[in-house]
Amino acid sequence: MKNRGQGSGIRKKCVIFAILIFFCWSGIAWATDVNDLIFQGADFHYKGKLDKAIVKFQAATQIDPSNEYAHNQLGILYAKKERFNDAFREFSKVVQIDCRNTYALLWLGILYLRQNDLNNAFEKFQEIIRIDPNNADAYYYLGTIYNFRHNPAKAIEYLKKARDADSGEADTHYRLGKAFHNVDMTCNALLEYDRALRLKPSYTAAINETGWIYYNHGSYERAIKEWKKTLKINPRDRDAVLNLAKAYNDLAWKALTAGNKKEAAKYWKKTLGVNPGNKAAKYNLKKYGK
Amino acid sequence: MDRRLFLNLLGKGLLVSSTLGIFPPLVWGKTSFDYALEGQNLIQRGDYNNALKALKEAVRLDPDSDWAFGLLGRAYRGLGRKAEAVDAFRQAVRLNPEDVYSRMMIEIMTQKPIPKLPRAKKPLSPLEKKASEEEAQMLNRLGPEAGLKYQVKRVVIDAGHGGFDSGAVGMTGLKEKDVTLDLAKRFHQRLQRRGEIKSFLTRTGDYYVPLSERTVIANQYQADLFISIHINANKKREAHGSETYFCAEKASSKEAARVASFENAVLKYDKPFKKRRGYIDIEEILFQFERKLYWSESDKLAHRFQKRFKQGLPLHSRGVHSANFYVLRRAKMPSILLETGFISNPRNESMLRQDTFREKIVDAIIRGLA
Repeated sequence: MKNRGQGSGIRKKCVIFAILIFFCWSGIAWATDVNDLIFQGADFHYKGKLDKAIVKFQAATQIDPSNEYAHNQLGILYAKKERFNDAFREFSKVVQIDCRNTYALLWLGILYLRQNDLNNAFEKFQEIIRIDPNNADAYYYLGTIYNFRHNPAKAIEYLKKARDADSGEADTHYRLGKAFHNVDMTCNALLEYDRALRLKPSYTAAINETGWIYYNHGSYERAIKEWKKTLKINPRDRDAVLNLAKAYNDLAWKALTAGNKKEAAKYWKKTLGVNPGNKAAKYNLKKYGK
Repeated sequence: MDRRLFLNLLGKGLLVSSTLGIFPPLVWGKTSFDYALEGQNLIQRGDYNNALKALKEAVRLDPDSDWAFGLLGRAYRGLGRKAEAVDAFRQAVRLNPEDVYSRMMIEIMTQKPIPKLPRAKKPLSPLEKKASEEEAQMLNRLGPEAGLKYQVKRVVIDAGHGGFDSGAVGMTGLKEKDVTLDLAKRFHQRLQRRGEIKSFLTRTGDYYVPLSERTVIANQYQADLFISIHINANKKREAHGSETYFCAEKASSKEAARVASFENAVLKYDKPFKKRRGYIDIEEILFQFERKLYWSESDKLAHRFQKRFKQGLPLHSRGVHSANFYVLRRAKMPSILLETGFISNPRNESMLRQDTFREKIVDAIIRGLA
C-alpha cells in the first residue's frame, strides 16, 4: 500500500510537471515570432523594466541564436545590471556571428576600458575605424584615450573626426576643446566649449574651462562670471569653488601690492564667501584687513 | 422654387466650382494625415517609391508628425537607403521619444556601418574664422607622437608651504618653505633654458597658497605633471634620506594613510556621487579610467624619480610610498610629491644649505623627467 501510494504521488507530480511545462511552452509558443519578442523586449527596455526585457531577449536568442540585435540588447541590459561578464559574453557572441558589427565591438572596447585594459580597448576602437571610417563613437574614444595620454596632436586628430562624423555630441566638443586648450589653441578651445554648451547648457566642466581661458588672458571678471554660472547650476561644484577662491586671492594680492588694502580685504572676504575654510584668506584678512 | 431663385443658386454654384477649380487645395487638398495613410498603404503593398513620394509630402505639410517620419524611415529602409532611413527614424524619435519602433530601428540599423549623409555647409562665424586661422598656424607645429606613451610637455612645480606656514625647521634654523621655493625656482629656470617643457610655479615668493589651490593651478595651466617639492622632518634626528609619494587608491603604510585621511577632511565640499540604478554612465567609466591611468603614471614617475635620486644624490633612498591624497587626487594629471632629504637631520640640513647640493637635486629631478 505504501509503495502504491508513493507511486501514485510520483505520477501526480509528473502530471503537474507536465502541465507546468505545457503552460511554459505555450507561453513561448504564443509569441514564437522572434520579432514580437524583440519588440516587446525593446519596449520593456525603454520603459526601464530591465528584468522583463532580459527574459524577452533571452527567449528571442533561443529561437534565433544568430539574432545580433537581441544579443546586443542582452549585452546592454546585463551591463546595466552590472553583470559585466555576461555582457562581455553577449557582445563577443555578436562579433562571432558577424565581425563587422561595430556596435558590439564598441561595447567590447568600453568594457575593456572599464577593466583598465587600455591596449585591448584601443585595438577594438581601431578595428571599428577599419570597418567603418565614419564611426563617430570609435573616433571619440580613441581621441579621448589620447587626451588622457596628454598627446594633444593625436587627440585633436581623432576628436575632429568624431566631431565631423557626428557634431551632435556635447562630450565630443568638450574633449576636443580640452585637447586644443592643452596646446594653447584657445580660439579653437573656446569654440568647442561653446559648441558643447549650446548642446548642453548645464555642462559645468565646459563652463569652468572657458573661465580659465578668460582668466589666463587677463579677463578676470569674465572668468569669475563663468564660474559663478557654474555655481548657479551646481552650488557644490568643487572646481568652480576653488577656481573662484584662487581668482579672489590673486586679485587680493594684486590690490595689496598696489597699496590698496581695502580692496584686498574686499577680495579676501569674497574668497571666504565661496570657500569659508580658505586658510590664506583667513590669515591675510586678519593681518591686512584692519 | 421660382425661376429667379433657381438662377441665383445656379450662379452661386458656378462661382464656387470655378473657385475650386483654381484653388483646389482650399477644400479638396490632402492633409499630411492623408498622405501618411497613403504612404502606409503603399509600404504594405511594397511600393516604396510611391510611398516615399507620399510620405515626403506628409512631412512637408506637417514637420511635427512623428508618425509620418517613422513611415518615411520605413520607406527609405525598403529602398535600401539606410542613412536617410536612420535620419528619418531619428526625427521620429526626436518628436516622440516613446516611439519604440523607430528607436529600435535606429539601434538595429546602426549596429553596422551606414553611409554618411552629406551636410550643408554654413558660413563661418567670427569665432570660427579666428579658430580656423589659429589652426592653420598652430596645428602643423605640433609633432604628433605615435604610440600611447604618456606625454609630459607642461609641468606645474609646487614649492611646499610658504608664508605663515614655514613647514619643518632645521636645528640651525633652515626653513623648509625657503628651500622648497629655491629648488622650485631653480628647476623652473632650468626647464625654461632647455625649452622643451613649459613650466609654471604655484608660488613665486614667500606667501601661503592653500593646498587645494595648488592643484587648481595645475588644472589652470592644463599641466601634464604636478610635482610638489618638500623636505621631510622627523622627531628622530637620525632619520634621513629621500622619498617620493604618489596618489593611489590604497595607502602603502599606516603613516601614509593617516596623512591622507587628514588631508581628505575637505571632502565634505564634494557632491556625493549618486549611482543611478539600471543606467550605464559612460562618462563615469571614462572618469574612473582616466584617474586610474594618472595614478598608474604617477606610480611609474615616482619610481623613476626615486631611482634618479638614488643614483644622483648622496642620500639614502627611503623608497616610494603611496596614499589616497585628496589634494593630489584633484589634479587632472599624474602628480608626485618629492621629499628631498630630512631637514631635522643635521647632516641632511647642512647639505640642503649648499648650492651644489640643491643643483644636484634639480639634476636628479630633470633626469627623472627624461
